[in-house]
Amino acid sequence: MIAAEKWSAAIRTLRIRSVQAPWLPILALSAFLLTLPLAIPLNGEIHADWLQFLGRFHPSLVHLPIGMLVLLVFLEFTGRNRTGLRDAGSFVLQLGFVTAFLAVLFGILLAYGSGVTGVILTRHMWGGVVLLIELLVCISVRPTWISRKSPRKYPALLAVSFLTLIWTAHQGGSLTHGSDYLTRYMPGPLKEFFPSAVGASDAPYVGSAYARYVHPILDAKCVGCHGASKEQARLRLDFYDLIIKGGKDGAVIVPRNPDGSLLLQRVTLAPTDRHFMPTDGKPPLSPDEIATLRAWILSGASPTATGIPGISKVSEIAELPIQPVGDYSPLMNEIRQMQRSEGAKLVAVSAKPSDGLILRTLDVASNFDDAQLAQFQRFAPYIVEAELARTAVTDACFDTLSKFTNLRALHLEGTAVTGQGLAKLSNLSQLTYVNLSATKVTPGAVAPLKSMPNLRHLYLFETAAQPEAAAVNGGLNGYSGFHH
Amino acid sequence: MKQHPDCTDCENPVTPLDFPVPAPVKQQWAALETRRRFLGRSGKVLGWAALAGLFGRTGLRGYANGRDAKSPVANADNRFDLPHFAPKAKRAIYLFMSGGPPQIDLLDYKPNLAAQFNKDMPDSVRGSQQLTGMTAGQAHFPIAPAHWPFAQHGQTGTWVSDLLPYTARMVDDLTIIKTTNTDAINHEPAIMLMNTGNMNAGKPCLGAWLAYGLGSMNDNLPTFIVLQTKTNPKENNQPVSSRLWSSGFLSSEYAGVGLRSGPDPVLYLSDPAGVDRQVRRNMLDTVEQINRQTLADVGDPETNARIAEYEMAFRMQSSVPELVDLSKEPQSTWDLYGPDARQPGTFAYNCLLARRMAERGVRFTQIYKRGWDVHGDVVGTLPILCKETDQGAYALVTDLKRRGLLDDTLVIWAGEFGRTVYSQGGLTQDNYGRDHHPRCFTTWMAGGGVRAGITHGETDDYSYNVVKDPVHVRDFNATILHCLGIDHTKFTYKFQGLDQKLTSPVPAHVVQELLA
Repeated sequence: MIAAEKWSAAIRTLRIRSVQAPWLPILALSAFLLTLPLAIPLNGEIHADWLQFLGRFHPSLVHLPIGMLVLLVFLEFTGRNRTGLRDAGSFVLQLGFVTAFLAVLFGILLAYGSGVTGVILTRHMWGGVVLLIELLVCISVRPTWISRKSPRKYPALLAVSFLTLIWTAHQGGSLTHGSDYLTRYMPGPLKEFFPSAVGASDAPYVGSAYARYVHPILDAKCVGCHGASKEQARLRLDFYDLIIKGGKDGAVIVPRNPDGSLLLQRVTLAPTDRHFMPTDGKPPLSPDEIATLRAWILSGASPTATGIPGISKVSEIAELPIQPVGDYSPLMNEIRQMQRSEGAKLVAVSAKPSDGLILRTLDVASNFDDAQLAQFQRFAPYIVEAELARTAVTDACFDTLSKFTNLRALHLEGTAVTGQGLAKLSNLSQLTYVNLSATKVTPGAVAPLKSMPNLRHLYLFETAAQPEAAAVNGGLNGYSGFHH
Repeated sequence: MKQHPDCTDCENPVTPLDFPVPAPVKQQWAALETRRRFLGRSGKVLGWAALAGLFGRTGLRGYANGRDAKSPVANADNRFDLPHFAPKAKRAIYLFMSGGPPQIDLLDYKPNLAAQFNKDMPDSVRGSQQLTGMTAGQAHFPIAPAHWPFAQHGQTGTWVSDLLPYTARMVDDLTIIKTTNTDAINHEPAIMLMNTGNMNAGKPCLGAWLAYGLGSMNDNLPTFIVLQTKTNPKENNQPVSSRLWSSGFLSSEYAGVGLRSGPDPVLYLSDPAGVDRQVRRNMLDTVEQINRQTLADVGDPETNARIAEYEMAFRMQSSVPELVDLSKEPQSTWDLYGPDARQPGTFAYNCLLARRMAERGVRFTQIYKRGWDVHGDVVGTLPILCKETDQGAYALVTDLKRRGLLDDTLVIWAGEFGRTVYSQGGLTQDNYGRDHHPRCFTTWMAGGGVRAGITHGETDDYSYNVVKDPVHVRDFNATILHCLGIDHTKFTYKFQGLDQKLTSPVPAHVVQELLA
């Protein structure tokens, strides 16, 4: 009997609710919202221009619902004493929903049109959709709060919506400003709480066996899903420290125990296995690559050792992975101005700013001297290649060049340099290519370069320092000073 | 004088009401021509005009997904679009062997053929494949093995014909592709396909795409230069035309600039007597003003190209004499390139110029060598062709290498197709001919971006069909673009409603195995 009474009471309350809240339309609308992202799949392809044109209003539209919802929270608090404000709350809430709906719609247009995909984007999108549904429910339960029938539901829902809003907005911010935007300049002690903010870098390991052999394999086959953009299983394999840190399932590498290392286990499973890596039919690791990883782990998985026992790659030295330089975008206006001027130019290595800039002097070579080179010092960290062939620079250029900390290639062929001061370049750890052909360098002057571990291509054709072998016409490998 | 009825240039212009149409229809027209209708229509026209203005250059006209022609380096977002990724090669030199070199006699070694001399090629090899009109009527397809012995060279042990002693020295630096294949069986479509990715004329060639996408490295020289090798009357010279270095639907300024093969690479380089530099400059400035006015009036982008070409010609007046002045070349250059290199217009001379252009920032140099169309007398003409080209090609690669330029220069050696294993015309102990063969031919690349010392792909025992790893012309071009930092699928230009690419329309793939 008691149970039956409880049931009927429950049904009664349900009926009351159904009278007050139009659940069916809400459910239908929610279902529609949930299918929206599925109906417009973000497949990474670029679509019609007008989609992007509209979509680009998303960033301006999106601030409307944010403002509305913040205002709403204030209104609901202050409305306790002022009925006018409480009445306004309903209007602001509905306006917030409408603007949020538009923002989501335009956001999907933007993502669909521009072909951008990624984990953060997906989170941002679903955050928006979930927020919309929460707001919808808020609208429907607010009357019950006003009439004091259920005083707790609406405030709780509003709080949840507010948190969703913050989270979604943060994802959106990460999309436009980069995920380390907030943490980049965070004081050191605070950073401890945000492990992802700790700047990992492989810079200290340049030239090691890890950097030469292991990193390129991981970079080619794994980092697509276990890297900065996607962090599957909370595992990142793009930097040594992060590889050692491991992921969701703990460490992936057990030094000296290849068979016990999860990383190696996963790539050596049967390709049909559910856990086989790389997944989704992406190209698997070759036996050579697996052997390299195995030998590296067996030898202790050191980031600094310069060789791996049992692996000899004399014939095929992997090029150094390109160390990203900083983002030069803030200096872009200056760079573009230079582009238009008649003088030397800074051109991008590629569309990726982190690939750095090339200093190009071909147009003005004969007039380009040490003083002009010195003017490029403020771009020093971004310049990865200096094309100074046949310019008027002299040995004084090495003072400036030694400040180009990310310099990878240096062309000085046909200049008046004699090599005095070449030693100043020894701090340039990224330098792999130096061309001193047709200059007055002597064997003694280039000697300091021989201690640079990453300098693989040194050209001394038509100089006093040219190795003997080069004198023999036809020998192909004798022209370069040495090969590591 | 009676005016043509359709002519509107008269005092009483002809209106539609003057046309011979039934009177009731005319009445209807007249009734429709009200002031209200006129104003309404004007409003709509304004609306459309405003819309067209809104879409501007991107909506209604061809536009660049790769690069905006107006801003050669950075687009409106303050970012560089191209290269898409860090390139291995900054520039390329394309040695084009027009006519179709016989792969069987040069690099595709088939030792088993010697035993099958004069035997008919098995029908199973050819299957139902078509032949050219030149040999389709032959009753027999007698196998003609290579006339010259092959030997292994370099650390890679690559087999090379004795006809190519210099190429043999550099095999460790080459990426040899034995399985290049094309769709076309005759010269013009095949050479168009090789250069522009399409058998029909009107598409931009590889060099134009590169000039458009990557831009110039030296404002004083053209971005894309074409060098012709003087023809040898002993050879069967198929014509090459400027269609092959045309910019197609891209602006004319991206077309290849051809230098002459005589002693004067560019005619009238020096100003005529009595005209000094300043007079020339003033003249060009005035011409530019007039051109700008035309541009403002008509809005034809080709006017822009014309302005750019005048400017380039002016700058070339000082840059080209320096480029072709070989007097400062050291003796080692002449030792390497051989005596031919002193003769303007020879292949070796052009190779030397190509190296000098690479140093001076020319993005793309294409050297055409005609005469490879050896339908008959292979034994007589092939040694001449090889002698003309072998040392030059070797010298170019070696010179780039010793000067440190091969690290970022891609050298390409290719013709438009290969040649048949069976003899065209009579086969004798001493001589044979070879017909066009599109299904496999050998090409090579060297330098920035490609893996040195490999041979890619396998052909069957008759060098007739591809057995393993085919490389279609489109894949070949996609791979070249990749070496220069360009993703061929993203490198498009909207024209005639399509996102045109060098590698369209059939999907193409970068050949990963070729990459360094």
